[in-house]
Parts: sequence; structure tokens; C-alpha cells
Amino acid sequence: MKKTIQIPLGSQHISLLEPIRFKFECENEKIIGVDADVGFVHRGVELACTRSFEFKQVGYVVARVCGLCAITHSLSYTLAVEKLLGYVANDRIKYLRMLMVELDRIHSHMLCLAHTAENAGFEALFMQIMADRELVMDLQEAISGNRVQFDFIAIGGVNRDLTPELSALIHKNLELLSDKIDTLLGLFDNNWSLSLKYKGVGVLTLDQAYTYNALGPLARAAGLATDVRVETSDFPYEALGYTMVLESTGDIHARNFVRLREILNSIAMCRNIVDNLPSGEIQEKTKGKPSGEAVVRVEAPRGELFYLVRGNGQNMLERVRIKTPTFSAIPAMMEVFKGSEYADAPAILASFDPCMSCTAK
Amino acid sequence: MRKIETTLPTLLADIGTFYEARKWHFLSVNGIDLGEGKIELQWIFSRYGIKDEIVIYYALSDYTTPVPSVVSLIPSAFMGEREIVDMFGLTVEGALRGLYLDEDSLPHPLRGES
Repeated sequence: MKKTIQIPLGSQHISLLEPIRFKFECENEKIIGVDADVGFVHRGVELACTRSFEFKQVGYVVARVCGLCAITHSLSYTLAVEKLLGYVANDRIKYLRMLMVELDRIHSHMLCLAHTAENAGFEALFMQIMADRELVMDLQEAISGNRVQFDFIAIGGVNRDLTPELSALIHKNLELLSDKIDTLLGLFDNNWSLSLKYKGVGVLTLDQAYTYNALGPLARAAGLATDVRVETSDFPYEALGYTMVLESTGDIHARNFVRLREILNSIAMCRNIVDNLPSGEIQEKTKGKPSGEAVVRVEAPRGELFYLVRGNGQNMLERVRIKTPTFSAIPAMMEVFKGSEYADAPAILASFDPCMSCTAK
Repeated sequence: MRKIETTLPTLLADIGTFYEARKWHFLSVNGIDLGEGKIELQWIFSRYGIKDEIVIYYALSDYTTPVPSVVSLIPSAFMGEREIVDMFGLTVEGALRGLYLDEDSLPHPLRGES
């Protein structure tokens, strides 16, 4: 029997942005076993949603689950409550919600790409992508009034409208960003040191993607054609130019490429939304209190975000179940580590774009 | 959304008959406290490539009856099973407490009595 050693990664580590601890069992440099501890920032959000806040306030509570995808949390919850109230938003509200969700996807994907570059030792590229990301951060702030916690979506609508000046700014910034992403595509594909670190490393096969229920860019990089944007009918994504981005190699390079190409698709959809924004009110009245059970799925930047809300006609809800993308991705993540070199673990981890704040909620 | 009732003794057989990894995406294990020591357990699935098709298998149980693990059928389910062990203080075969909670945490925060 060969001798193995256990090496921890985290909960605090130079390559980690958020607290997660992996315990790797290694045979020489090769990882042969993995254990994960994900609960360092548990805050009891699900409990607070049913004990401390009324249903009209909960949308603002769940947005605090995560700073990166706050908009998809508030959207998922709001859609669930609107279903229970029997309310369907008008097209203008739907388009404005989609606009913010796609802008959020762009900035989140760019953050991930920046950190994968950083984990390959490419500090200059990290800084460059973070600087370019400001183009979309500025847009989110201009549209919603906030840079991170947007509080843009409310039951029955959205809190702010687009003006002609904002529409012009969106076109201007997205034009600039599109050129920068084109440059990044070439760099991520052809740069010698990035290729060494990414190509053929951290592979999730299609079989593993199905077996371990991979989702989001992680699944699509392995060739699994799944995306909540076309598996739900809440928003007209196909009419606005949605294209599923698929790769087949399932390695870090494929995950980077899925994100880069999804950014371009999101930019195209945002432009279509602004150019074809329907007329209508941005806030409509809803009646009653939530009663019954509703489930909602929204494609967050890291994959499927799932909410189940149950109400009994009172102000306080009976259950708010939140299942986040990273929580679901942990089993697939653990499989990918097995057989990889320990030295590649930080880069592999960054390529999963894990959000522990979401996971522990 | 389609809800299908099952029981804990027949859970593995029911989900084993239903679940195909290339057809259904396993979403989550969920618990809902119904009060008076009763709990509704849910195993939630969505269909790949089909709009709005969600299937929920649910079983009514109590706090003390052991819950069978579906990990032999769905390897990724261990995260959700550990979560309901923490949140509802249930016993699930092979699932350890401590995914989220520490030794001195509230023992089962999502039970109605907590």
C-alpha cells in the first residue's frame, strides 16, 4: 500500500477569496481523495426569512445572501411570490429585470476570469480584466443606483426606469467591453503560459457532469446542454438572441471560454433589450398575501439558482428554500480534484467560480 | 410542477424507477416543518431541455424516523442530505451533522419548535 499524506487547502488560503476548506489526500503530488467543509459563513438566512421578516421584506433579505449575484436572488424570490399572488409582470418589467441579470452575469464572469488569470500567476491580466469590469459595474450603478446590493427588483416591478441617457451609456460601455472581450478570447486561447496552466487540467467529463448534476458554465464546458434561461418560460430569452454556449473538453480552458463567449452573448442580449424595450409601467400593484407553494429557477452566473416558497395567506411565510449553484457544484468539484495534481488545485478551484457566501447562506 | 407522494420505505424504489441521470437534473432535498412534530420531505428534479418541467417526490414523516439516503442513486445528493440533518435534526443514513452548524449551534433551526 502506498503512503498518502493529507494536505489542507483553506479555510484561509492565498488563492481563496472566500472561506472553504478542502482536505486533500495525496499520493505524492496527486490528489486521490477529497473532503470539503463549506459552512464557515452560515448566517441562517432561510430561518430569518420565515421568522424575522414579512414576505414584502424578504426580497431585500435574500439579496444579502450574495454580493455577486444579489440580483438573481431577489429575482428568484420575487418571481416565486408573484406566482403565489397570481401576478404576471408586464414586458417592460421583464426586460428591465433581464437587463440587470445579464449585466450581473457579465461582471461575475469577468471576476472569475480575472481570478483564474491570477491563479496562473498572470497578475497583469488580473488587473486588466478587473479594470475592464468597471465598465459594467458603472452601468449597474447608473441603472440601479447601487454598485453591489442593487435592490432593483421588487414585488410587482422594478424600482428604477431606463432613461434615454442611460440607454446611450449602456450602448457606449458595452461597445467598449465587447472589443475588450474579443481581445481576451485571443489571449486565453493562445497565450503560452495560460495554455500550460489551463488546457487539459481539471477535466470534468460529460458522464461526470450528468452523474454529479453539474450546472451552469461548469456543465456547459463539459458539453452538457443545460441552461435555465431556456428551460423556463419566465423570460423571453430566445427572442432576445440567447445562444447556448457549449464546449466539450471540460477543462479549465473550456470553462474560461464558456464564460468569455457567454459575456459576448449577454452583451448582445443587453443591446437587444435596450433597443426593443416595450412601453409600460415599471411598478404595478399586487393584491393579497402569498398562499400555496411555488418553485422558481433562475440562471445565475454560476448556474441554476432554485427557490421554493410556501405561504399560508399570512404576512410571514412558512418556508423559503434556497438552493444555490455552488452548493450543487460541490460534488462535481470534488470529483474533478481526484486525479489532479495538488499544484493545480487553486487554479481548478478558481475555475469553478465558487461562491461560499451563497453556499453557506 | 408535478408532486408525487411517496413514503420513506418505498422512496428508494420509487426514485430508482423514476430517475435517469441523462434525463433528469436532481435539484435538491428539501424539508418543510408542518408543526406538531411532522415534516414534509421533498426530492426535487427538473428535466433537461424541457421548459418548466419540475417533479417533486414528497413523503410525510416525523423528526425521529430515519430517512433513507438516495446517494446510491444520485451521488450528488449527499450535500442536501447533510443539510436536512443540520437544519431539521433528522437522521439520514451516512449523513453527518456539521455541514453548517457547530457543536454549540442551535440544534435544528428550521424545526417549528426552535
